[in-house]
Amino acid sequence: MKEIITENEVSRRSVLKGAAAGAAALTVGGVGASTLGASAASADTFNVSFGSNNSNGPGPEQDAAWTAAAKAKGINVALNVVDHNNFQNNINSYLQGTPDNAFDWFSGYRMQFFAQKGLLTPIDDVWKVIGGSFTAGFAGGATGLDGKKYLVPTDWYPWAIHYRKSVWKKAGVNPASIKTIADLINACKVFKSKGYTPIAQADKGGWEAQGVFDILNMRTNGFKFHIDLTAGRAKWTDPRVQKVFANWAALRPYMSAHPLDLGDQDAGKLVIQKKAAMIIMGSFTSGLYPKADYPDLALIPFPIIDPANGTDSIDAPIDGVLASTSAASNMPATNALLEFIGGTDYSGIIQAISPTLFANKYATVPGDPFVQSQVKLVQGTKHVAQFFDRDSRPDFAGPIFGPALQKYLTGGDPKAIANDLAAQWAALPPA
Amino acid sequence: MTSVIDQPQAASAPAKKKKKKGSHNFSGSDRVTLGAFVGLPTILHVLFVWVPAVCTILLSFTFWDGIGGLKNIKWVGFTNYRQVFTLDENLPVAIRNNILWLLVFALVASPLGILLAYYIDKNLKGTQLYQTSFYLPLVISLAVTGIIWDNVFRTDGVLNSILGNTNADTAVSWLGDPHKNIWVVLFIASWRHIGYIMLLYLAGMKSVDPSLREASAIDGASEWYTFRKVIIPSLRPVNVIIVVVTIIESLRAFDLVFILNRGTNGLQTLGVLVYDNIQGEGTRIGWGATYATLLFIICLGPIMVYLYQNFSKGND
Repeated sequence: MKEIITENEVSRRSVLKGAAAGAAALTVGGVGASTLGASAASADTFNVSFGSNNSNGPGPEQDAAWTAAAKAKGINVALNVVDHNNFQNNINSYLQGTPDNAFDWFSGYRMQFFAQKGLLTPIDDVWKVIGGSFTAGFAGGATGLDGKKYLVPTDWYPWAIHYRKSVWKKAGVNPASIKTIADLINACKVFKSKGYTPIAQADKGGWEAQGVFDILNMRTNGFKFHIDLTAGRAKWTDPRVQKVFANWAALRPYMSAHPLDLGDQDAGKLVIQKKAAMIIMGSFTSGLYPKADYPDLALIPFPIIDPANGTDSIDAPIDGVLASTSAASNMPATNALLEFIGGTDYSGIIQAISPTLFANKYATVPGDPFVQSQVKLVQGTKHVAQFFDRDSRPDFAGPIFGPALQKYLTGGDPKAIANDLAAQWAALPPA
Repeated sequence: MTSVIDQPQAASAPAKKKKKKGSHNFSGSDRVTLGAFVGLPTILHVLFVWVPAVCTILLSFTFWDGIGGLKNIKWVGFTNYRQVFTLDENLPVAIRNNILWLLVFALVASPLGILLAYYIDKNLKGTQLYQTSFYLPLVISLAVTGIIWDNVFRTDGVLNSILGNTNADTAVSWLGDPHKNIWVVLFIASWRHIGYIMLLYLAGMKSVDPSLREASAIDGASEWYTFRKVIIPSLRPVNVIIVVVTIIESLRAFDLVFILNRGTNGLQTLGVLVYDNIQGEGTRIGWGATYATLLFIICLGPIMVYLYQNFSKGND
């Protein structure tokens, strides 16, 4: 422990130097290609390594674009791209081995857990620079349990009912009419009678159905119970958990019959192919849509179950960038990089490649109607949750809760499942 | 033939002489060489097999999230064992699957592979073609095997297309149904295992003196009798390999189920449970080590019994 503290002290001293240098480099970049500026920039060149999990879809193109822009500002980024799922599976050994200075990661418990274990470097100095660009909600999501900042929030996406406008129009269902769960079930009956699978449901990966559980739980029991349950303050044997499963059971006849055969992409494609009428999924499902079909995509919030809660909460996980322990010995460069990523130049570059919602309040909001509807959805929401696996312990969400929902979806008894979850939670090693 | 008979006699005389003097007669360089030949592999074996194995067994008595040094490891006695046996619903499924795997390999796949080898060895017309096609599955990596068969068995896959229904809701759910998917997986695993056993046995049978078969045929033995009483006994070393390979392949089952659905929902195996608990964000080294120890004990049993029986007979 002593060693870590001295390391931090050293880094704080160098941070001040680094911040000054970083500011100089940025101004120089702004001034342009005057000879004097160019030589000054090359004297203060930063070298920093970055672990990217942005391996799918437009990811490689985005990585190439932003690293080029960073280089123009004197920040040389050594990029280390790892397949998205492999990156997550190997995160423990990655962070304890020789991690890159900064890396792509997620907010919530998934960040706090590593911060608590001393595998991250706090970045409060970066927040002194970029803090004004983020609302309190995002600042809270970037804060660890010790009150220090660890995350530079980049993009985020809400979970909602996603559908194709043309399919609903053809079936004669008006999206604006879905106010309550009864409306949703009536709409499902219409879709079913017209030969559609009303709701595509995936759970092959064990996480897809967690989003459905979350939204049913928040609509049924409210935001506070969701947070209490995921953090272990409420018990799984609480009768309110059974109410969630009861509401789910009412929807099950209208959901995919074999969710464990479908991954999130398989289920998303059923909606694109007009075989299913809707899907409860994160807005990243838009990445599956071919250009011609994308304008047909729309979303509505999940309807009201208990009027006391209304539609006041949703899952809207934030992704971002963290600094690893290796950043401590390369603080000026890491800070310069993180400040760049927290700024609007970065968001502009990413958005130019694909429409994305950024946490930075000065980032442009893409004019695209689908992205606009995501913003509207979140603005109309009082509480933003992070998603089950970011609000709960990682050794519970992945290996225990995921399989439990799979069991429910293959006919398991919700009472027995809840009892088992309670017993499993009690047996977890103290965090 | 005469030289073959002569040689042992010639060799036995000096051997006797040496025996009298005893084994301490090695020169210094001999000892160094022998020491290196025996010592190095022993050191490497102990270092890379037994030290990790013992560490794993020790870790199964602890709580550890895999982060930080040894000071974060908490000694908890048999808690992990009690927990996995009373709490974990994956364990019974995994043990069932590993046992099913072993039974299907031992009773169906391996005998089929031996049978194929027997027929192919008779040099039927087109032997090369059969041999190649049965062996081909083995050339493909298990990951690719998984992807190929996933395309066959998924709800909108090849098999359901042939059956005429690829609707995601009404088609047969081959891989998503926890009561069905293990049989599908065992079929895929056998498809691969048969070729493996066939090749091993074929190589062994090439070394059987054809005159043995001729002799038994002349004596009027039936084919089945010849196979049982002549071929199989003369292939004892290959038989040992096949039994060991069959046991190891079925107990270490991992790749295939991991590709198909990450080894969840009815496709759990002990290998998957070990991996799930030591890898990823939700690391629970104690549980992972407990599963690994259970797997170790299960592996040890049949292999030790078989090797002991076989080699003690062979030494008579």
